[in-house]
Amino acid sequence: MKKPIVLLLLALVLLPIVVRPAIAAEIWIFAIFGLGLNLLLGYTGMLSFGQSTFFGSAAYVAGWLLKYYGINIFLALGIGVGVGAASAAMVGYLCVQRSGLYFIMLTFALNQLFYFIAYQWTSVTGGEDGMPGVPRPALLGIDFQDPLTYYAFISILFLVSLWLMKRIVESPLGKILQAIRENEVRAEAVGYNVPRFKLLAFVIGGAFSGLAGVLYAMLFGIVPLEAIGFAFSGNVLFATLIGGSGSLYGPVIGSFVFIVLSESVSTLWARWPLLLGLAFVIVVLFLRGGVVEAWSRFWSWRSLKQKI
Amino acid sequence: MLYALMGLGLSLITGVLNIPNFAHGALFAVGAYLLVSAANAIGNFWIALVVAPVGVALLGLAVEYVGIRRLYAAGHDYQLLFTFGLALILSESIILIWGPVGYSHLPPQILRGGLDLGFTFYPKYRLFVMVMAGLLVLATWLFLEKTRYGAIMRAGIENKEMVSLLGIDIQTLFTVAFALGAYLAGIAGALTVPIRGVNPGMGVDMLGIAFVVVALGGLGNLLGAIAAGLIIGIAQALVAAYWTEASTVVIYAVMAVVLLVRPQGLFGIR
Repeated sequence: MKKPIVLLLLALVLLPIVVRPAIAAEIWIFAIFGLGLNLLLGYTGMLSFGQSTFFGSAAYVAGWLLKYYGINIFLALGIGVGVGAASAAMVGYLCVQRSGLYFIMLTFALNQLFYFIAYQWTSVTGGEDGMPGVPRPALLGIDFQDPLTYYAFISILFLVSLWLMKRIVESPLGKILQAIRENEVRAEAVGYNVPRFKLLAFVIGGAFSGLAGVLYAMLFGIVPLEAIGFAFSGNVLFATLIGGSGSLYGPVIGSFVFIVLSESVSTLWARWPLLLGLAFVIVVLFLRGGVVEAWSRFWSWRSLKQKI
Repeated sequence: MLYALMGLGLSLITGVLNIPNFAHGALFAVGAYLLVSAANAIGNFWIALVVAPVGVALLGLAVEYVGIRRLYAAGHDYQLLFTFGLALILSESIILIWGPVGYSHLPPQILRGGLDLGFTFYPKYRLFVMVMAGLLVLATWLFLEKTRYGAIMRAGIENKEMVSLLGIDIQTLFTVAFALGAYLAGIAGALTVPIRGVNPGMGVDMLGIAFVVVALGGLGNLLGAIAAGLIIGIAQALVAAYWTEASTVVIYAVMAVVLLVRPQGLFGIR
Protein backbone atom coordinates (compact mmCIF):
# COMPACT_ATOMS: atom_id res chain seq x y z
CA MET A 1 0.00 0.00 0.00
CA LYS A 2 1.09 3.52 -0.70
CA LYS A 3 2.14 5.90 2.03
CA PRO A 4 -0.85 8.29 2.02
CA ILE A 5 -3.29 5.40 2.31
CA VAL A 6 -1.43 4.00 5.31
CA LEU A 7 -1.35 7.42 6.97
CA LEU A 8 -5.04 7.87 6.25
CA LEU A 9 -6.01 4.53 7.75
CA LEU A 10 -3.88 5.31 10.77
CA ALA A 11 -5.64 8.67 11.17
CA LEU A 12 -9.06 7.00 10.81
CA VAL A 13 -8.26 4.61 13.64
CA LEU A 14 -6.48 7.03 15.96
CA LEU A 15 -8.71 10.08 15.56
CA PRO A 16 -11.70 8.95 17.67
CA ILE A 17 -9.29 8.19 20.50
CA VAL A 18 -7.75 11.66 20.41
CA VAL A 19 -10.88 13.77 19.93
CA ARG A 20 -14.58 13.16 20.59
CA PRO A 21 -16.05 10.68 18.07
CA ALA A 22 -18.57 13.32 16.99
CA ILE A 23 -15.78 15.70 15.97
CA ALA A 24 -13.83 12.89 14.35
CA ALA A 25 -16.95 11.93 12.39
CA GLU A 26 -17.52 15.56 11.42
CA ILE A 27 -14.03 15.73 9.96
CA TRP A 28 -14.65 12.83 7.58
CA ILE A 29 -18.12 14.09 6.67
CA PHE A 30 -16.59 17.45 5.84
CA ALA A 31 -13.91 15.65 3.86
CA ILE A 32 -16.58 13.94 1.73
CA PHE A 33 -18.16 17.38 1.22
CA GLY A 34 -14.75 18.76 0.25
CA LEU A 35 -14.11 15.91 -2.20
CA GLY A 36 -17.25 16.94 -4.06
CA LEU A 37 -16.20 20.58 -4.21
CA ASN A 38 -12.68 19.66 -5.23
CA LEU A 39 -13.95 17.89 -8.33
CA LEU A 40 -15.38 21.25 -9.41
CA LEU A 41 -12.74 23.60 -8.08
CA GLY A 42 -9.56 21.57 -8.34
CA TYR A 43 -10.23 19.37 -11.33
CA THR A 44 -12.63 21.33 -13.52
CA GLY A 45 -11.67 24.85 -12.51
CA MET A 46 -15.17 25.92 -11.50
CA LEU A 47 -15.27 28.05 -8.37
CA SER A 48 -18.59 27.21 -6.74
CA PHE A 49 -19.67 29.22 -3.76
CA GLY A 50 -22.93 27.34 -3.37
CA GLN A 51 -22.03 23.84 -2.29
CA SER A 52 -24.18 24.00 0.84
CA THR A 53 -27.24 24.15 -1.45
CA PHE A 54 -26.81 20.45 -2.19
CA PHE A 55 -25.57 19.57 1.28
CA GLY A 56 -28.52 21.27 2.96
CA SER A 57 -31.22 20.15 0.50
CA ALA A 58 -30.17 16.52 0.89
CA ALA A 59 -30.04 16.87 4.68
CA TYR A 60 -33.54 18.36 4.79
CA VAL A 61 -35.21 15.88 2.45
CA ALA A 62 -33.56 12.76 3.85
CA GLY A 63 -33.91 14.06 7.41
CA TRP A 64 -37.62 14.65 6.86
CA LEU A 65 -38.15 11.17 5.49
CA LEU A 66 -36.11 9.62 8.31
CA LYS A 67 -38.07 11.54 10.89
CA TYR A 68 -41.62 11.01 9.66
CA TYR A 69 -41.44 7.85 7.58
CA GLY A 70 -38.69 5.98 9.41
CA ILE A 71 -36.92 4.98 6.25
CA ASN A 72 -33.96 2.63 6.14
CA ILE A 73 -30.51 4.19 6.59
CA PHE A 74 -29.26 3.15 3.16
CA LEU A 75 -32.42 4.43 1.54
CA ALA A 76 -31.82 7.74 3.34
CA LEU A 77 -28.26 7.91 2.03
CA GLY A 78 -29.44 7.02 -1.45
CA ILE A 79 -32.09 9.70 -1.34
CA GLY A 80 -29.51 12.17 -0.07
CA VAL A 81 -27.21 11.40 -2.96
CA GLY A 82 -30.15 11.69 -5.34
CA VAL A 83 -31.35 15.01 -3.93
CA GLY A 84 -27.80 16.36 -3.92
CA ALA A 85 -27.36 15.38 -7.54
CA ALA A 86 -30.79 16.67 -8.60
CA SER A 87 -30.39 20.07 -6.91
CA ALA A 88 -26.90 20.31 -8.39
CA ALA A 89 -28.36 19.56 -11.81
CA MET A 90 -30.82 22.44 -11.43
CA VAL A 91 -28.25 24.92 -10.14
CA GLY A 92 -25.61 23.69 -12.54
CA TYR A 93 -27.92 24.04 -15.53
CA LEU A 94 -28.24 27.76 -14.82
CA CYS A 95 -24.62 28.31 -13.89
CA VAL A 96 -22.48 26.43 -16.39
CA GLN A 97 -23.50 28.68 -19.23
CA ARG A 98 -21.71 31.59 -17.62
CA SER A 99 -18.10 31.70 -16.60
CA GLY A 100 -15.68 33.51 -14.33
CA LEU A 101 -17.11 36.03 -11.93
CA TYR A 102 -20.68 35.54 -13.11
CA PHE A 103 -20.42 31.86 -12.32
CA ILE A 104 -19.28 32.53 -8.75
CA MET A 105 -22.01 35.09 -8.16
CA LEU A 106 -24.69 32.82 -9.59
CA THR A 107 -23.76 29.88 -7.40
CA PHE A 108 -23.94 32.20 -4.41
CA ALA A 109 -27.25 33.77 -5.43
CA LEU A 110 -28.86 30.36 -6.01
CA ASN A 111 -27.49 29.26 -2.65
CA GLN A 112 -29.37 32.22 -1.17
CA LEU A 113 -32.51 31.12 -3.01
CA PHE A 114 -32.46 27.71 -1.33
CA TYR A 115 -31.49 29.30 1.97
CA PHE A 116 -34.47 31.61 2.00
CA ILE A 117 -36.82 28.82 1.00
CA ALA A 118 -35.56 26.81 3.99
CA TYR A 119 -35.74 29.91 6.17
CA GLN A 120 -39.34 30.73 5.32
CA TRP A 121 -40.78 27.25 5.00
CA THR A 122 -40.90 26.84 8.76
CA SER A 123 -43.59 24.15 8.84
CA VAL A 124 -41.13 21.72 7.29
CA THR A 125 -37.66 23.01 8.01
CA GLY A 126 -38.27 24.69 11.35
CA GLY A 127 -36.79 27.89 9.92
CA GLU A 128 -34.13 29.40 12.13
CA ASP A 129 -34.46 26.69 14.79
CA GLY A 130 -33.52 23.94 12.36
CA MET A 131 -35.19 20.59 11.96
CA PRO A 132 -34.50 18.51 15.08
CA GLY A 133 -35.26 14.87 15.76
CA VAL A 134 -33.49 13.23 12.82
CA PRO A 135 -33.04 9.60 13.94
CA ARG A 136 -30.20 7.22 13.23
CA PRO A 137 -32.04 3.98 12.46
CA ALA A 138 -30.40 0.64 13.20
CA LEU A 139 -29.56 -1.69 10.33
CA LEU A 140 -29.44 -5.50 10.52
CA GLY A 141 -29.16 -5.32 14.28
CA ILE A 142 -26.29 -2.82 14.22
CA ASP A 143 -27.13 0.05 16.52
CA PHE A 144 -25.82 3.30 15.08
CA GLN A 145 -26.75 5.21 18.22
CA ASP A 146 -23.40 4.16 19.58
CA PRO A 147 -21.03 7.00 18.57
CA LEU A 148 -18.15 4.70 17.71
CA THR A 149 -20.27 2.39 15.57
CA TYR A 150 -21.58 5.37 13.66
CA TYR A 151 -18.04 6.69 13.37
CA ALA A 152 -16.92 3.39 11.86
CA PHE A 153 -19.84 3.56 9.42
CA ILE A 154 -18.85 7.07 8.36
CA SER A 155 -15.20 6.04 8.03
CA ILE A 156 -16.14 3.24 5.66
CA LEU A 157 -18.33 5.55 3.60
CA PHE A 158 -15.52 8.09 3.51
CA LEU A 159 -13.07 5.50 2.21
CA VAL A 160 -15.58 4.41 -0.41
CA SER A 161 -16.09 8.05 -1.44
CA LEU A 162 -12.35 8.64 -1.64
CA TRP A 163 -11.90 5.53 -3.74
CA LEU A 164 -14.76 6.55 -6.02
CA MET A 165 -13.36 10.05 -6.42
CA LYS A 166 -9.93 8.62 -7.22
CA ARG A 167 -11.52 6.46 -9.88
CA ILE A 168 -13.42 9.43 -11.27
CA VAL A 169 -10.44 11.78 -11.54
CA GLU A 170 -8.30 9.07 -13.10
CA SER A 171 -10.98 7.99 -15.55
CA PRO A 172 -11.30 9.45 -19.06
CA LEU A 173 -14.04 11.68 -17.64
CA GLY A 174 -11.61 13.05 -15.06
CA LYS A 175 -9.06 13.75 -17.78
CA ILE A 176 -11.63 15.61 -19.86
CA LEU A 177 -12.54 17.74 -16.84
CA GLN A 178 -8.89 18.56 -16.28
CA ALA A 179 -8.57 19.45 -19.92
CA ILE A 180 -11.45 21.88 -19.46
CA ARG A 181 -9.68 23.38 -16.47
CA GLU A 182 -6.46 23.83 -18.42
CA ASN A 183 -7.97 25.23 -21.58
CA GLU A 184 -11.69 25.45 -22.08
CA VAL A 185 -11.55 26.68 -25.66
CA ARG A 186 -9.22 23.91 -26.72
CA ALA A 187 -11.32 21.24 -25.01
CA GLU A 188 -14.30 22.58 -26.94
CA ALA A 189 -12.33 22.63 -30.16
CA VAL A 190 -11.25 19.01 -29.72
CA GLY A 191 -14.92 18.16 -29.77
CA TYR A 192 -16.00 17.88 -26.16
CA ASN A 193 -19.30 19.39 -25.16
CA VAL A 194 -17.86 21.57 -22.42
CA PRO A 195 -21.11 22.75 -20.76
CA ARG A 196 -22.37 19.18 -20.57
CA PHE A 197 -19.19 17.95 -18.91
CA LYS A 198 -19.25 20.87 -16.50
CA LEU A 199 -22.82 19.99 -15.63
CA LEU A 200 -21.81 16.38 -15.12
CA ALA A 201 -19.04 17.46 -12.74
CA PHE A 202 -21.58 19.60 -10.92
CA VAL A 203 -23.97 16.69 -10.53
CA ILE A 204 -21.26 14.35 -9.26
CA GLY A 205 -20.02 17.00 -6.84
CA GLY A 206 -23.60 17.54 -5.70
CA ALA A 207 -24.05 13.82 -5.08
CA PHE A 208 -21.02 13.79 -2.79
CA SER A 209 -22.32 16.88 -1.01
CA GLY A 210 -25.68 15.21 -0.59
CA LEU A 211 -24.12 12.14 0.98
CA ALA A 212 -22.19 14.36 3.39
CA GLY A 213 -25.37 16.30 4.20
CA VAL A 214 -27.37 13.22 5.21
CA LEU A 215 -24.49 11.87 7.33
CA TYR A 216 -24.23 15.27 8.99
CA ALA A 217 -27.96 15.38 9.79
CA MET A 218 -27.82 11.91 11.32
CA LEU A 219 -24.65 12.71 13.24
CA PHE A 220 -26.13 15.64 15.11
CA GLY A 221 -29.76 14.54 14.94
CA ILE A 222 -30.72 17.93 13.54
CA VAL A 223 -30.61 19.84 10.29
CA PRO A 224 -29.58 23.35 11.32
CA LEU A 225 -30.45 26.25 9.04
CA GLU A 226 -26.71 26.94 8.67
CA ALA A 227 -26.37 23.63 6.81
CA ILE A 228 -27.84 25.34 3.75
CA GLY A 229 -26.36 28.78 4.45
CA PHE A 230 -23.60 30.59 2.59
CA ALA A 231 -21.18 30.35 5.53
CA PHE A 232 -21.10 26.58 5.09
CA SER A 233 -20.26 27.00 1.43
CA GLY A 234 -17.47 29.34 2.44
CA ASN A 235 -16.15 26.95 5.05
CA VAL A 236 -15.89 24.00 2.71
CA LEU A 237 -14.22 26.23 0.15
CA PHE A 238 -11.75 27.42 2.74
CA ALA A 239 -11.07 23.88 3.92
CA THR A 240 -10.43 22.73 0.37
CA LEU A 241 -8.16 25.67 -0.39
CA ILE A 242 -6.06 25.39 2.77
CA GLY A 243 -5.64 21.71 2.08
CA GLY A 244 -4.64 22.51 -1.45
CA SER A 245 -7.15 22.12 -4.27
CA GLY A 246 -6.39 19.97 -7.26
CA SER A 247 -4.88 17.14 -5.25
CA LEU A 248 -6.95 14.19 -4.14
CA TYR A 249 -5.99 14.44 -0.48
CA GLY A 250 -6.09 18.24 -0.28
CA PRO A 251 -9.69 18.54 0.95
CA VAL A 252 -9.11 15.71 3.42
CA ILE A 253 -6.18 17.50 5.05
CA GLY A 254 -8.06 20.80 4.84
CA SER A 255 -11.16 19.38 6.57
CA PHE A 256 -9.01 18.02 9.33
CA VAL A 257 -7.30 21.36 9.93
CA PHE A 258 -10.51 23.34 9.59
CA ILE A 259 -12.73 21.25 11.88
CA VAL A 260 -10.10 20.85 14.59
CA LEU A 261 -9.38 24.59 14.59
CA SER A 262 -12.98 25.74 14.42
CA GLU A 263 -14.16 23.28 17.07
CA SER A 264 -11.44 24.34 19.47
CA VAL A 265 -11.97 28.07 18.93
CA SER A 266 -15.76 28.17 18.66
CA THR A 267 -16.21 26.92 22.22
CA LEU A 268 -14.00 29.70 23.53
CA TRP A 269 -15.52 32.75 21.91
CA ALA A 270 -18.96 33.35 20.41
CA ARG A 271 -17.49 35.81 17.91
CA TRP A 272 -15.11 33.25 16.49
CA PRO A 273 -16.11 33.91 12.87
CA LEU A 274 -14.07 37.09 13.34
CA LEU A 275 -11.00 34.94 13.86
CA LEU A 276 -12.08 32.76 10.96
CA GLY A 277 -12.22 35.86 8.78
CA LEU A 278 -8.79 36.91 9.96
CA ALA A 279 -7.53 33.41 9.19
CA PHE A 280 -8.94 33.69 5.63
CA VAL A 281 -7.20 37.01 5.12
CA ILE A 282 -3.89 35.83 6.55
CA VAL A 283 -3.92 32.63 4.53
CA VAL A 284 -4.65 34.55 1.36
CA LEU A 285 -2.05 37.23 1.95
CA PHE A 286 0.78 35.10 3.26
CA LEU A 287 0.11 31.40 2.85
CA ARG A 288 -1.30 31.03 -0.62
CA GLY A 289 -1.03 27.46 -1.84
CA GLY A 290 -2.40 25.84 1.28
CA VAL A 291 -1.00 23.71 4.05
CA VAL A 292 0.98 21.50 1.73
CA GLU A 293 2.91 24.42 0.30
CA ALA A 294 3.36 26.15 3.66
CA TRP A 295 4.85 22.91 4.92
CA SER A 296 7.40 22.70 2.12
CA ARG A 297 8.18 26.41 2.46
CA PHE A 298 8.77 25.91 6.16
CA TRP A 299 11.27 23.16 5.42
CA SER A 300 13.14 25.15 2.82
CA TRP A 301 13.29 28.03 5.30
CA ARG A 302 14.70 25.68 7.95
CA SER A 303 17.37 24.32 5.67
CA LEU A 304 18.24 27.85 4.57
CA LYS A 305 18.67 28.86 8.17
CA GLN A 306 20.87 25.91 8.89
CA LYS A 307 23.13 26.83 6.00
CA ILE A 308 23.61 30.30 7.42
CA MET B 1 -33.64 52.01 -6.89
CA LEU B 2 -31.52 51.13 -3.88
CA TYR B 3 -30.92 47.75 -5.43
CA ALA B 4 -29.71 49.46 -8.56
CA LEU B 5 -27.36 51.57 -6.47
CA MET B 6 -25.93 48.48 -4.76
CA GLY B 7 -25.62 46.62 -8.02
CA LEU B 8 -23.95 49.60 -9.66
CA GLY B 9 -21.31 49.86 -6.94
CA LEU B 10 -20.62 46.16 -7.06
CA SER B 11 -20.62 46.22 -10.81
CA LEU B 12 -17.93 48.93 -10.81
CA ILE B 13 -15.71 47.03 -8.39
CA THR B 14 -16.22 43.68 -10.04
CA GLY B 15 -15.97 45.07 -13.54
CA VAL B 16 -12.91 47.26 -13.16
CA LEU B 17 -10.93 45.20 -10.68
CA ASN B 18 -12.10 41.81 -11.95
CA ILE B 19 -12.54 40.41 -8.45
CA PRO B 20 -15.58 38.85 -6.78
CA ASN B 21 -16.34 41.27 -3.98
CA PHE B 22 -18.04 39.29 -1.23
CA ALA B 23 -17.49 42.15 1.18
CA HIS B 24 -19.90 44.41 -0.70
CA GLY B 25 -22.79 43.54 1.60
CA ALA B 26 -20.64 44.17 4.64
CA LEU B 27 -19.72 47.62 3.29
CA PHE B 28 -23.43 48.32 2.90
CA ALA B 29 -24.00 47.31 6.55
CA VAL B 30 -21.07 49.42 7.76
CA GLY B 31 -22.56 52.41 5.96
CA ALA B 32 -25.86 51.88 7.75
CA TYR B 33 -24.28 51.50 11.18
CA LEU B 34 -22.01 54.50 10.65
CA LEU B 35 -25.06 56.58 9.83
CA VAL B 36 -26.76 55.59 13.08
CA SER B 37 -23.68 56.38 15.14
CA ALA B 38 -22.92 59.61 13.32
CA ALA B 39 -26.52 60.80 13.51
CA ASN B 40 -26.61 60.08 17.24
CA ALA B 41 -23.26 61.74 17.86
CA ILE B 42 -23.83 64.83 15.74
CA GLY B 43 -27.56 65.01 16.14
CA ASN B 44 -28.05 65.88 12.50
CA PHE B 45 -29.23 63.33 9.96
CA TRP B 46 -28.00 65.28 6.94
CA ILE B 47 -24.41 65.64 8.09
CA ALA B 48 -24.42 61.96 9.05
CA LEU B 49 -25.70 61.08 5.59
CA VAL B 50 -22.69 62.83 4.11
CA VAL B 51 -20.16 61.51 6.63
CA ALA B 52 -21.15 57.82 6.77
CA PRO B 53 -20.61 56.91 3.10
CA VAL B 54 -17.32 58.82 3.07
CA GLY B 55 -16.25 56.68 6.00
CA VAL B 56 -17.13 53.56 4.01
CA ALA B 57 -15.22 54.87 1.01
CA LEU B 58 -12.16 55.45 3.22
CA LEU B 59 -12.52 51.94 4.56
CA GLY B 60 -12.67 50.68 1.00
CA LEU B 61 -9.57 52.69 0.18
CA ALA B 62 -7.69 51.16 3.09
CA VAL B 63 -8.82 47.63 2.23
CA GLU B 64 -7.78 48.01 -1.38
CA TYR B 65 -4.44 49.47 -0.39
CA VAL B 66 -3.56 46.87 2.22
CA GLY B 67 -5.03 43.69 0.82
CA ILE B 68 -6.75 43.58 -2.52
CA ARG B 69 -3.85 45.31 -4.28
CA ARG B 70 -1.69 42.25 -3.68
CA LEU B 71 -4.26 39.86 -5.07
CA TYR B 72 -4.78 41.00 -8.65
CA ALA B 73 -2.40 38.34 -9.86
CA ALA B 74 -3.94 35.62 -7.69
CA GLY B 75 -6.85 33.46 -8.80
CA HIS B 76 -10.50 34.22 -8.16
CA ASP B 77 -10.53 31.58 -5.44
CA TYR B 78 -8.09 33.52 -3.27
CA GLN B 79 -9.69 36.87 -4.02
CA LEU B 80 -13.01 35.38 -3.02
CA LEU B 81 -11.58 33.96 0.18
CA PHE B 82 -10.05 37.33 1.04
CA THR B 83 -13.22 39.34 0.49
CA PHE B 84 -15.29 36.69 2.22
CA GLY B 85 -12.92 36.79 5.19
CA LEU B 86 -13.19 40.55 5.14
CA ALA B 87 -16.98 40.29 5.18
CA LEU B 88 -16.79 38.00 8.20
CA ILE B 89 -14.45 40.39 10.00
CA LEU B 90 -16.65 43.39 9.27
CA SER B 91 -19.93 41.75 10.23
CA GLU B 92 -18.49 40.28 13.43
CA SER B 93 -16.92 43.64 14.27
CA ILE B 94 -20.34 45.21 13.83
CA ILE B 95 -21.72 42.79 16.42
CA LEU B 96 -18.80 43.51 18.74
CA ILE B 97 -19.13 47.28 18.44
CA TRP B 98 -22.87 47.79 18.12
CA GLY B 99 -24.21 44.59 19.64
CA PRO B 100 -26.25 41.77 18.10
CA VAL B 101 -29.63 43.51 18.29
CA GLY B 102 -30.78 45.84 15.56
CA TYR B 103 -31.80 49.47 15.91
CA SER B 104 -34.25 51.59 14.10
CA HIS B 105 -33.74 55.23 13.31
CA LEU B 106 -36.36 57.80 12.47
CA PRO B 107 -36.00 59.92 9.36
CA PRO B 108 -35.44 63.66 9.94
CA GLN B 109 -38.47 65.69 10.97
CA ILE B 110 -39.09 67.18 7.57
CA LEU B 111 -39.35 63.77 5.88
CA ARG B 112 -41.68 62.13 8.37
CA GLY B 113 -45.22 61.33 7.44
CA GLY B 114 -46.60 60.75 4.02
CA LEU B 115 -47.46 62.62 0.92
CA ASP B 116 -50.75 62.48 -0.94
CA LEU B 117 -49.94 61.80 -4.57
CA GLY B 118 -53.54 61.90 -5.68
CA PHE B 119 -53.78 58.20 -6.53
CA THR B 120 -51.91 56.88 -3.53
CA PHE B 121 -50.50 57.87 -0.17
CA TYR B 122 -46.73 57.46 -0.03
CA PRO B 123 -44.24 57.94 2.85
CA LYS B 124 -42.16 61.05 2.27
CA TYR B 125 -38.92 59.38 3.22
CA ARG B 126 -39.30 56.64 0.63
CA LEU B 127 -39.86 59.26 -2.03
CA PHE B 128 -36.73 61.02 -0.83
CA VAL B 129 -34.76 57.78 -1.10
CA MET B 130 -36.02 57.19 -4.60
CA VAL B 131 -35.03 60.68 -5.67
CA MET B 132 -31.65 60.47 -3.95
CA ALA B 133 -30.87 57.05 -5.39
CA GLY B 134 -31.96 58.27 -8.80
CA LEU B 135 -29.71 61.31 -8.53
CA LEU B 136 -26.77 59.17 -7.42
CA VAL B 137 -27.25 56.76 -10.28
CA LEU B 138 -27.49 59.74 -12.62
CA ALA B 139 -24.35 61.28 -11.14
CA THR B 140 -22.48 58.01 -11.54
CA TRP B 141 -23.71 57.77 -15.10
CA LEU B 142 -22.57 61.32 -15.85
CA PHE B 143 -19.22 60.58 -14.28
CA LEU B 144 -18.74 57.42 -16.29
CA GLU B 145 -20.05 58.74 -19.59
CA LYS B 146 -19.15 62.41 -19.65
CA THR B 147 -15.90 62.86 -17.78
CA ARG B 148 -12.44 61.93 -18.92
CA TYR B 149 -11.74 59.79 -15.90
CA GLY B 150 -15.05 58.03 -16.30
CA ALA B 151 -14.08 57.16 -19.86
CA ILE B 152 -10.78 55.77 -18.59
CA MET B 153 -12.68 53.69 -16.07
CA ARG B 154 -14.97 52.28 -18.74
CA ALA B 155 -11.92 51.51 -20.82
CA GLY B 156 -10.49 49.75 -17.80
CA ILE B 157 -13.52 47.46 -17.72
CA GLU B 158 -13.09 46.67 -21.39
CA ASN B 159 -9.37 46.12 -21.58
CA LYS B 160 -6.96 46.60 -18.70
CA GLU B 161 -3.71 45.89 -20.54
CA MET B 162 -4.53 48.43 -23.22
CA VAL B 163 -5.31 51.10 -20.66
CA SER B 164 -2.08 50.60 -18.78
CA LEU B 165 -0.15 50.51 -22.06
CA LEU B 166 -1.52 53.95 -22.84
CA GLY B 167 0.38 55.27 -19.85
CA ILE B 168 -2.49 55.45 -17.42
CA ASP B 169 -1.83 54.53 -13.83
CA ILE B 170 -4.07 51.49 -13.62
CA GLN B 171 -3.26 50.98 -9.95
CA THR B 172 -4.76 54.32 -8.99
CA LEU B 173 -7.70 53.60 -11.26
CA PHE B 174 -8.37 50.38 -9.36
CA THR B 175 -8.14 52.16 -6.02
CA VAL B 176 -10.53 54.88 -7.14
CA ALA B 177 -12.98 52.34 -8.55
CA PHE B 178 -12.98 50.35 -5.34
CA ALA B 179 -13.47 53.44 -3.19
CA LEU B 180 -16.27 54.64 -5.45
CA GLY B 181 -18.00 51.27 -5.33
CA ALA B 182 -17.61 51.22 -1.56
CA TYR B 183 -19.05 54.75 -1.40
CA LEU B 184 -22.13 53.70 -3.36
CA ALA B 185 -22.60 50.68 -1.08
CA GLY B 186 -22.14 52.90 1.97
CA ILE B 187 -24.67 55.49 0.90
CA ALA B 188 -27.17 52.80 -0.06
CA GLY B 189 -26.75 51.42 3.44
CA ALA B 190 -27.11 54.83 5.05
CA LEU B 191 -30.26 55.62 3.07
CA THR B 192 -31.85 52.32 4.06
CA VAL B 193 -31.62 52.96 7.78
CA PRO B 194 -34.80 54.99 8.35
CA ILE B 195 -36.78 52.46 6.29
CA ARG B 196 -35.54 49.15 7.64
CA GLY B 197 -33.33 49.98 10.61
CA VAL B 198 -30.05 48.20 11.08
CA ASN B 199 -29.25 44.63 12.02
CA PRO B 200 -26.11 42.51 11.70
CA GLY B 201 -27.62 40.27 9.03
CA MET B 202 -28.47 43.11 6.64
CA GLY B 203 -25.16 42.88 4.78
CA VAL B 204 -25.52 39.30 3.61
CA ASP B 205 -29.11 39.77 2.50
CA MET B 206 -28.06 42.72 0.40
CA LEU B 207 -25.00 40.94 -0.99
CA GLY B 208 -27.18 38.28 -2.58
CA ILE B 209 -29.39 40.95 -4.11
CA ALA B 210 -26.41 42.89 -5.44
CA PHE B 211 -25.14 39.71 -7.09
CA VAL B 212 -28.51 39.15 -8.70
CA VAL B 213 -28.49 42.69 -10.08
CA VAL B 214 -25.03 42.24 -11.54
CA ALA B 215 -25.74 38.75 -12.87
CA LEU B 216 -28.80 40.05 -14.69
CA GLY B 217 -27.56 43.49 -15.67
CA GLY B 218 -24.02 42.71 -16.67
CA LEU B 219 -20.70 43.92 -15.28
CA GLY B 220 -20.14 47.62 -15.56
CA ASN B 221 -23.43 47.96 -17.38
CA LEU B 222 -25.18 50.94 -15.88
CA LEU B 223 -28.44 50.58 -17.74
CA GLY B 224 -28.45 46.88 -16.94
CA ALA B 225 -27.96 47.54 -13.25
CA ILE B 226 -30.82 50.02 -13.20
CA ALA B 227 -33.15 47.76 -15.17
CA ALA B 228 -32.31 44.70 -13.08
CA GLY B 229 -32.59 46.68 -9.84
CA LEU B 230 -36.02 47.96 -10.84
CA ILE B 231 -37.27 44.57 -12.01
CA ILE B 232 -36.42 42.74 -8.82
CA GLY B 233 -37.50 45.69 -6.66
CA ILE B 234 -40.93 45.75 -8.29
CA ALA B 235 -41.23 41.96 -8.26
CA GLN B 236 -40.44 41.94 -4.58
CA ALA B 237 -42.92 44.69 -3.75
CA LEU B 238 -45.69 42.99 -5.73
CA VAL B 239 -45.14 39.61 -4.11
CA ALA B 240 -44.76 41.15 -0.65
CA ALA B 241 -48.25 42.61 -0.97
CA TYR B 242 -49.85 39.21 -1.47
CA TRP B 243 -47.49 36.64 0.02
CA THR B 244 -45.09 38.20 2.51
CA GLU B 245 -43.11 35.04 3.26
CA ALA B 246 -42.00 34.65 -0.33
CA SER B 247 -40.83 38.23 -0.83
CA THR B 248 -37.15 37.38 -0.42
CA VAL B 249 -37.31 34.15 -2.34
CA VAL B 250 -38.90 35.90 -5.29
CA ILE B 251 -35.76 37.95 -5.98
CA TYR B 252 -33.78 34.81 -6.65
CA ALA B 253 -36.67 33.08 -8.36
CA VAL B 254 -36.97 35.99 -10.80
CA MET B 255 -33.26 35.69 -11.48
CA ALA B 256 -33.54 31.95 -12.09
CA VAL B 257 -36.44 32.46 -14.51
CA VAL B 258 -34.70 35.24 -16.41
CA LEU B 259 -31.57 33.13 -16.72
CA LEU B 260 -33.60 30.17 -17.95
CA VAL B 261 -34.98 32.29 -20.75
CA ARG B 262 -31.88 34.37 -21.35
CA PRO B 263 -28.78 32.61 -20.00
CA GLN B 264 -26.63 35.56 -20.98
CA GLY B 265 -28.54 38.00 -18.75
CA LEU B 266 -30.79 40.89 -19.70
CA PHE B 267 -28.42 42.59 -22.09
CA GLY B 268 -26.52 39.67 -23.43
CA ILE B 269 -23.13 40.27 -21.87
CA ARG B 270 -20.99 37.37 -20.83
